[in-house]
Amino acid sequence: MAIGYQPKVVGFLCNWCSYAGADMAGTSRITYPPNIRIIRVPCSGRIDPLLVVKGFQLGADGVLIAGCHPGDCHYVEGNYYTRRRFALLRPFLDYLGIEKERFRIEWVSASEGKRFSQVVSSFTEELLRLEPRELVPERATL
Amino acid sequence: MDVQGYLALIAVGKFKEAYELIRRTNPLPAVCGRVCYHPCEEVCKRGYVDQPLAIASLKRFAADQIDIEEIEIPQITKNGKRVAIIGSGPAGLTAAHDLSLSGYEVTIFEALSQAGGMLRAGIPEYRLPKDILNGDIRYIEKLGVKIQTNTRIGEQVKLEDLRSSHQATFIATGAHESMRLGIPGEEASGIIHGVDFLRAVNLGQKVEIGGRVVVIGGGNTAIDAARVARRLGSSVTIVYRRSREEMPANVTEIEAAEAEGIEIMFLAAPTRVITKGERAEKVECLKMRLGEPDASGRPRPIPVEGSQFTIDVDTLIPALGQTPNLAFAQGLGLELSPRGTLMVDEATLATNIEGIFAGGDVVTGPAMVIEAMAAGRKAARSIDRYLKGEPLLTEEMEEKRAPQETSEEEIAALRERFPKQDRVRMKELASEERIKDFKEVELGYSLAQAQQEAERCLSCGVCSECRECEKLCQAKAINYEMKDEFIDVEVGAIVVATGFKTFDHRVYGEYGGGKHPDVITGLQLERLLSASGPTGGEVIRPSDGLHPKTVVFVSCVGSRDEQKGRSYCSKVCCMYMAKHAIMLKEHDPEVQCYIFYIDVRAGGKDFDEFAQRAQREYGALYLRGRVSKIYQDGKKLMVCGEDSLIGRPVEIAADLVVLATGMEHSAGAAELARILNISYDTYNFFIEAHPKLRPVETQTDGIFLAGACIGPRDIPESVAQGSAAAAKVAALFSQDVLTTDPMVAMIDPMRCSGCLLCTQVCPFSAIDTQLTRDGRTVAVVNETLCKGCGLCVAACRFGAANLRGFTQQQLLAQVTSLWQ
Repeated sequence: MAIGYQPKVVGFLCNWCSYAGADMAGTSRITYPPNIRIIRVPCSGRIDPLLVVKGFQLGADGVLIAGCHPGDCHYVEGNYYTRRRFALLRPFLDYLGIEKERFRIEWVSASEGKRFSQVVSSFTEELLRLEPRELVPERATL
Repeated sequence: MDVQGYLALIAVGKFKEAYELIRRTNPLPAVCGRVCYHPCEEVCKRGYVDQPLAIASLKRFAADQIDIEEIEIPQITKNGKRVAIIGSGPAGLTAAHDLSLSGYEVTIFEALSQAGGMLRAGIPEYRLPKDILNGDIRYIEKLGVKIQTNTRIGEQVKLEDLRSSHQATFIATGAHESMRLGIPGEEASGIIHGVDFLRAVNLGQKVEIGGRVVVIGGGNTAIDAARVARRLGSSVTIVYRRSREEMPANVTEIEAAEAEGIEIMFLAAPTRVITKGERAEKVECLKMRLGEPDASGRPRPIPVEGSQFTIDVDTLIPALGQTPNLAFAQGLGLELSPRGTLMVDEATLATNIEGIFAGGDVVTGPAMVIEAMAAGRKAARSIDRYLKGEPLLTEEMEEKRAPQETSEEEIAALRERFPKQDRVRMKELASEERIKDFKEVELGYSLAQAQQEAERCLSCGVCSECRECEKLCQAKAINYEMKDEFIDVEVGAIVVATGFKTFDHRVYGEYGGGKHPDVITGLQLERLLSASGPTGGEVIRPSDGLHPKTVVFVSCVGSRDEQKGRSYCSKVCCMYMAKHAIMLKEHDPEVQCYIFYIDVRAGGKDFDEFAQRAQREYGALYLRGRVSKIYQDGKKLMVCGEDSLIGRPVEIAADLVVLATGMEHSAGAAELARILNISYDTYNFFIEAHPKLRPVETQTDGIFLAGACIGPRDIPESVAQGSAAAAKVAALFSQDVLTTDPMVAMIDPMRCSGCLLCTQVCPFSAIDTQLTRDGRTVAVVNETLCKGCGLCVAACRFGAANLRGFTQQQLLAQVTSLWQ
């Protein structure tokens, strides 16, 4: 492992459950690794696979998608689309040479501040165990 | 039916009330109590423990305690409409009773010389004494029903004439035609059919029968005919073609017949009547064996070749069953079934001719008295609706409740709870006494027997519906006719204030698991302390009613206990324990309270002072530590725990233990949250839009929260939240124009291909289609319906859909700039 290596994580969080869960972690003063950069989206169903691929292309070591628990979607059924859509993206990431451990989908509800912290911590630890990603230099930026 | 109600009333000796309750639903109580084959007893839950309640016998008992001539006749307002009923059997009488009570002028036309139909002509005196039957019929006549006997429709009166003088007609003529044997010699003299024989005897006609009587058949008519013949002094043999198991007659009837010396010859069928001159002399029979089941599900009797034998006979009584005689209705066009019965609509009993209804044996073929009565009631309802011009079929009729299945666990629990106690046997006449005359065989219960039998009722329905409270309530506040109804209400806002329920402490086995009566909850103590509570404010032990002197409180039962899945603090218990300690001392200065606590959480204005006062002024002893065990020791409850401040185990002999049970979500909270589309946490408490800044709002517009449905809280806090929610609703309603979030989807018509995948994924049906000027169909967003979830954006393959505030460009820019 590279010395001083800190993985970069992009987190796409749905507004109603997971973003609120992250908020709950904050108001409850629960800490989690600062490696994650959070992008708020209205619903996990809004997340275009392109955004995930773009994140990896720009050098993210891991991408986390977090949404409401199945059955609890604020928009009734958005997270079902998420689940199916990213099940399809996984083999494509594998094809691109991105280890499957680098991409996670988790369900975090608005009351689960502690769980959010655990998810981010365990993901970060897992990424630390992997080697930093080798990026093809000329393709590193668009 | 209010069976449990009248059983309960009999058990407490309120016989008149029991009888009145039976009368509400049954117009022939004395008759049914004797002759009904009581299908109700088959579903009685006591049957799982030992034997079902003797419901019919108790009904008879209640009826026997009453002089029917003294029963009050209700005031009836006549409506001037006339109904004709043909036949005065159980169906006709029941319909007449109901219709008369509804104000109709009812006339029953009866072909025989006396009213009662099969009750009179078919059932022998020893099962149903005539004065009992007369009593029940007299009462129906007193309601204003006219019974015209000796009037056979089609002879004295034409059916067409009836129809012109009455607004509706109910045909309940029963099934009185005997089925033929279909064997040679059947027309000989000395042969009389079962129902004809019974009718003649029952109507007091002289019937000559010989010394040797053979009855053919295995139904109740066969048994009745045999037992009557026996009483007339003959020796009787019943010939039945199957075996005892297949016999359709009631088992008790078969046994009674045998006890009276009647021989039953199974597996034999007559083939020929051998005559001497005109008279039957012998009957030739063939032995049978049982084969495969036939259409009726019973084994088919198969003749054994060459097994002929003969029986000497003076009188042969075939009793093979009955069919209706519908000669009177011919030429009217009434629809008949292939079996020769009348065809009716099953739900309404309407025939194919308007204004004519039919029910009872004439529709079903021979069946039970109670089924005929049910048909009479159904017909009366239909006729009432018909004459009021209402639709005959109502929703109410379709929702007939089937008896609930009893689960294995429930049966096991019943058996554990109730010790076996066999049903009380009714006295009967000795069999040698019986055959001398037609005296009633069953002698009825004595007062003590009836009460003893009624007390066997398990009260499985909880409220017995004896309706005594309804009579007593002067404010008329009790309404038994009320039903659940669904009401649609259109509202602009919803405030959810569904509260909580207290934790069920039975999961704490170490605290007795709910088995010790003197281990109660805080809420139960609250009721004991209350002046309007069950004891009027007197604090007593539930077990023996004594005043407790040593009271131990156990805090945090179902709170702050991760092992029991409740890690949160219920917040209110510390304060109510302090209050209870003070109140107990005020009620009785000799009381000593001990309170086991983890922390004393008395946050809030004047709260800590209050908790201190409980200790200093009222002497409540606070012990820091959890209670490990509570057990019974004689009359005392031993409470074992630890005082962690002195580091020693303590044991207190208490009279009463109060568990400060915590608060948990109300029943059905998660289901409600799903319906309302609001969030809830792992403990099923609802989640506010923001814990600090939006404490009474939800993330769903227009839905607000207040009180303990959000989480444990006390009364002042709940009241404040209620006010806050009301203010929020008022603020919402005070606006003339509502503003919505501008973050809605938009579709670029130039890029839209018209695939309309977006319309499929949109959960809110917010995407319509539009025809562009160049003739293409494109999607277009209805901005007032759109909630801005962005599902369409991710689904769009052409980049035509976008979400304001979360556009593809904006999100990509965020991703790109993350590590710059």
